[in-house]
Amino acid sequence: MLDLKQLGGRLLQFVFVLWAVVTILFLMFRLMPGNPLAAYIDPTFTEEQQQILTAKFGLDRPLWEQYFVYVGNLLRGEFGDSFFYRQPVFERVLSLLPNTLILTFSSLIVAYIFGIVVGAWLAWKRGRLVEQAAIPFVLTTRAMPEFWLGMLLLALFSFNLGWFPAGGTRSPGAEFDGYLDLYTSVDFLAHLALPAATLAIYSQGLPLLLMRSNMLDVMREDFVTMARIKGLGNWTVVVRHAARNALLPVMTSFAIAVGYQIQGNVVVESVFSWPGLGRELVNAVSASDYPLAQGAFVMIAVVVVTMNLIADMLYGFLDPRVSRA
Amino acid sequence: MPDGGGAVSATGKPGSRSMIDRIFGSLHLPLRDPFAIMGLAIYVAFIVAAIFADRLATHDPTEILFIESYDLASDRRPGEDGFVLGTTSLGRDIFSQLVYGSRSALLIGLTAAFVVALIGTLVGLIAGYFGGIIDIVLMRLADIAFGIPFLPFVIVLAAFLDPSIWNVVLAMGLVLWRDTGRVIRSQVLTLRTRAYVEAARVSGSSDLKIVFRHIAPNILPLSFLYGSIAIGWAILTEASISFLGFGDPQTISWGYMLQDAFASQALSNRAYYWFIPPGLCIILVVAAGFFISRGYEEVLFPKLKE
Amino acid sequence: MRDVFQTAAAAALLVTGGVSSVLAAGDKIRGFSIVSRPQAAQPAEFQFVNIIAQEWRKLGIDVEVDVMPWEQMADLVWYNRDKWDVTGWQMVGRPERSDPDELIYNLYHSSTAPKGYNFLGYINPKYDQVVEAQRVETDADKRQALLNQAQAILAEDQPALMLVHPKSTFAFDKTIWDASTAVDQGGIGIKNTWTFISLAPLGDQQDIILNSSDNIQAINPLFISGGTDSWITELVWDRLLRIGPDGLPRPWAAESYEWTGATTIEVTLRDGMRWHDGQPVTAEDVKFSFEAAMGDEAPMYKPFVSNIAAIDTDGNKITFTLSKPSASFTTSSLAKLNLIPKHIWEPVLTDLASKDENAETYQEENPVGSGPYRFASWTTNEEVVLEANEGHWSAPKAERWVLRIVPNTEAALGMLRSGEINFLSDFPGDARILLNAAEEDGDLEVVSTVDIGFRYLAFNNRRQPFDNPAFRRALSFAINRDLIVGAAFKGFAVKSNSVISPALPFWHNAAIVEFETGTDLAKRILDDAGYEVIDGKLHYPNGVKETLGD
Repeated sequence: MLDLKQLGGRLLQFVFVLWAVVTILFLMFRLMPGNPLAAYIDPTFTEEQQQILTAKFGLDRPLWEQYFVYVGNLLRGEFGDSFFYRQPVFERVLSLLPNTLILTFSSLIVAYIFGIVVGAWLAWKRGRLVEQAAIPFVLTTRAMPEFWLGMLLLALFSFNLGWFPAGGTRSPGAEFDGYLDLYTSVDFLAHLALPAATLAIYSQGLPLLLMRSNMLDVMREDFVTMARIKGLGNWTVVVRHAARNALLPVMTSFAIAVGYQIQGNVVVESVFSWPGLGRELVNAVSASDYPLAQGAFVMIAVVVVTMNLIADMLYGFLDPRVSRA
Repeated sequence: MPDGGGAVSATGKPGSRSMIDRIFGSLHLPLRDPFAIMGLAIYVAFIVAAIFADRLATHDPTEILFIESYDLASDRRPGEDGFVLGTTSLGRDIFSQLVYGSRSALLIGLTAAFVVALIGTLVGLIAGYFGGIIDIVLMRLADIAFGIPFLPFVIVLAAFLDPSIWNVVLAMGLVLWRDTGRVIRSQVLTLRTRAYVEAARVSGSSDLKIVFRHIAPNILPLSFLYGSIAIGWAILTEASISFLGFGDPQTISWGYMLQDAFASQALSNRAYYWFIPPGLCIILVVAAGFFISRGYEEVLFPKLKE
Repeated sequence: MRDVFQTAAAAALLVTGGVSSVLAAGDKIRGFSIVSRPQAAQPAEFQFVNIIAQEWRKLGIDVEVDVMPWEQMADLVWYNRDKWDVTGWQMVGRPERSDPDELIYNLYHSSTAPKGYNFLGYINPKYDQVVEAQRVETDADKRQALLNQAQAILAEDQPALMLVHPKSTFAFDKTIWDASTAVDQGGIGIKNTWTFISLAPLGDQQDIILNSSDNIQAINPLFISGGTDSWITELVWDRLLRIGPDGLPRPWAAESYEWTGATTIEVTLRDGMRWHDGQPVTAEDVKFSFEAAMGDEAPMYKPFVSNIAAIDTDGNKITFTLSKPSASFTTSSLAKLNLIPKHIWEPVLTDLASKDENAETYQEENPVGSGPYRFASWTTNEEVVLEANEGHWSAPKAERWVLRIVPNTEAALGMLRSGEINFLSDFPGDARILLNAAEEDGDLEVVSTVDIGFRYLAFNNRRQPFDNPAFRRALSFAINRDLIVGAAFKGFAVKSNSVISPALPFWHNAAIVEFETGTDLAKRILDDAGYEVIDGKLHYPNGVKETLGD
């Protein structure tokens, strides 16, 4: 079990990593060549107007001063104003976060259910032809570029068969009473289907292979052998005893997978016109909108670091032998 | 990096030939595993294609091709006018691009694998063997690297460096050594307590010698395992970055081809011959890396095999 | 200050460069590069730049292609005006560019060379004189003659290598919309306010659902933001005049207008107009709208009202008094400014006056205009919904106007075919594929229109070797424009030699478009000007030193 000291240590580490990521990000953006406002200041502006803007974004101050202002602002949840939209970054980024989280979690839940069931089944079929053929197949699904797979699914299921809509989170002009109503509607789920399927196909390999190898481990252990000797049916043994024990480590990997997946969303959101954080980041970077790019990046990083923390704590919780790495 | 390389060759000097033998011997190439052999065979095929790209290719992959003067050879179907896989909508030869694409794929993949494996291995070795403050610092760095979302990081990096295929390698070198580093460190921690390492220490061997002579050979297969996965990561990342428009516009890669195809509505134009082949090539090379890494796993963790 | 000296030096070189044509050769011409945006973002530009580089190499010049994203390109070309050689560039067609003044004056007048639109640094006093004269010439025929002269000067000097006026291509589902009700606006295409008002539904689908690959930046009547945003502002807010489908301004919120003197114009406001919140639109609102732009809170609109000396109202009449005569005032001011409700914006602007921010950063929660559509909802990065304003004197036939954000061109085309959108309003892709799709599908109407805008290659006139008109002429005449139309634009463009598009037939000088091209012709021009080819490399005429080196 975790004691208080360990918990404190982990939280400290969490804060430290976030601070480091934020600092790296600051340096990356500020050390970029060229005037960061170049793409944003309209050529018709007078020199005076340009100076006012430069001052407004604090770009005329020394680097260290900009840094402290930046960190101070972040602590207050103040991400600055987007160059491009001229609106507060934080609100924009926050409004896109749910879309990204829903896409991430729904695709991973599907991937994990599929992966766990099929992984267990393949462990059971160890050495058979179906297992021999399935493994390279699973590895191949992880080798596909996500956007390529996404485009193919789009062409097949949307353009050719017309089963699913091609993009966005809702039908044009559809109205909903708040988020709950939207997220539980058939319309939303239909829009979610293809992007989530793309990500799920890509991410089912990890839980599948993990489940399979854990199952193989567990099935060698004594209590499974005992159960077999007791004459329980094979499948019963697998489900009742082996699977339950093999499952826990797979579940912990879920937290880490969220962190990985949220990065991969960047590409899939662009394919399926999904209004999420990843697409926002790509647009912001293309438009040299540094405050917005920073904000989207920090938001993604927060999710990643939080998920790492959760995974870390789960490991500690499940296996007390694992001390702080 | 140069320091690390120097250290290896320095210890290898007395009998560099035997050193090479030892390295190869300690690689434990998984030649019994059918998948791994398949993976290696795919690599060999693509390496051959990459080396002889200029002979295999029928055209210069970037040249704008004309049928007669001023008549652009665009959107030719496979075989038409002698273009093996047809041409792009702006009149470039698809087959030649595919062949040249194997060059950049292997270049990016192998360099990235080397960089990731090298940095990860060194970090793991040093942190694991020396422990103490060095270990703490390196592992905190790994924590930070784990906190950086990789693809967004590459995008931001690509935006302010000149677009180049090497950005992917750079980003991987900066961030993705983290997995390798951690795993190798924990492996080193167990190796450190082994009897022969103790023996070497008692007999007065230098730290450098112990690390590179006694410990490194034992973790080399692990480095290779992560290296072969990194090949795939590099190629997939390059493709994603190209798709999002941050790729190197001057270098023909499979990612570039796919991006070009989608930007030219190859799907709507049913130009399957354009966007399927680069995708398949990516899958083949990346999967080959996974197959090899799997072969390694079976060598390293034989309990799975039975 | 430095710029002034540089342009003076460039002008001096311009004079000396033309006259030298003696026997012995000068220095070898340094290699240079053409800047292009990436193929991914701008396939046609990338293509024509590469073709042109291939052609120029035949003249014995070392040409490279330097690919960079738009932000870097803009930074280099716009803010570092003495650091580049040749660049691909474009001017986009906007309704207010239907008056030729904006392009012909801003692009090449010497006053805009240091910081404005004349980024390529073309200096010609004779040209300045002509374009200044057309500016204040209110007699259309006399102005036409002046503009023809200006175009001829540019054709002679070739400050830039004009390539094509692209065709804008849009499509819609003709089983949903009555194809005869789409309006093809000259130089703009069928994606325009007139179409969105008159497009008539045939069946149950009453919503115009269209696409944009760009996100909405702002919905703000005092901020000229992204191109897509302007589709919305044009529908939500009325203007005194609008540019008609014929490219000429016509009364809109104004019932009529009349020049009562060389510098006074009297506008009569239409009766019975109401803001979307129910308040009446008054002459005071109109006055306020223009004064808001004259103040400091809407800097992007300020240039369009800088010529206004006074605004007086009398009942429903508004009189504008100008500082100096202006031929383009109706187009660039009266048809440009959005009418905004005083009762909403006055407190906002008063509040902003005491702050650093200006009106450009102010986003109304629920934008209020008086236009044919009213704002309904905006979902970030996904869609904007407008509803028909039934009370408007020119109410739309459609019920709603739904703009979807679709970043992926392939998806946009697929959505059009599947019915997820029914009006393809943004298609940067290959128009031939769209035509093929329409042919297969049977339900789609595709309309291509020659654009007011154009694509060209700008020479940096400040720098050797481009300071010599003969050299620029040779490079320009080396390029067959039909080749560019076919190989880079797939036939969806017309060749160009003037900044005034054939989409504006009254102002366009048709006499200068046809000219001979080819490598041999280019070589002849260079030879006549004293340039020489030695060992396959082009050299300057005798005595000319390369001042910039490689």
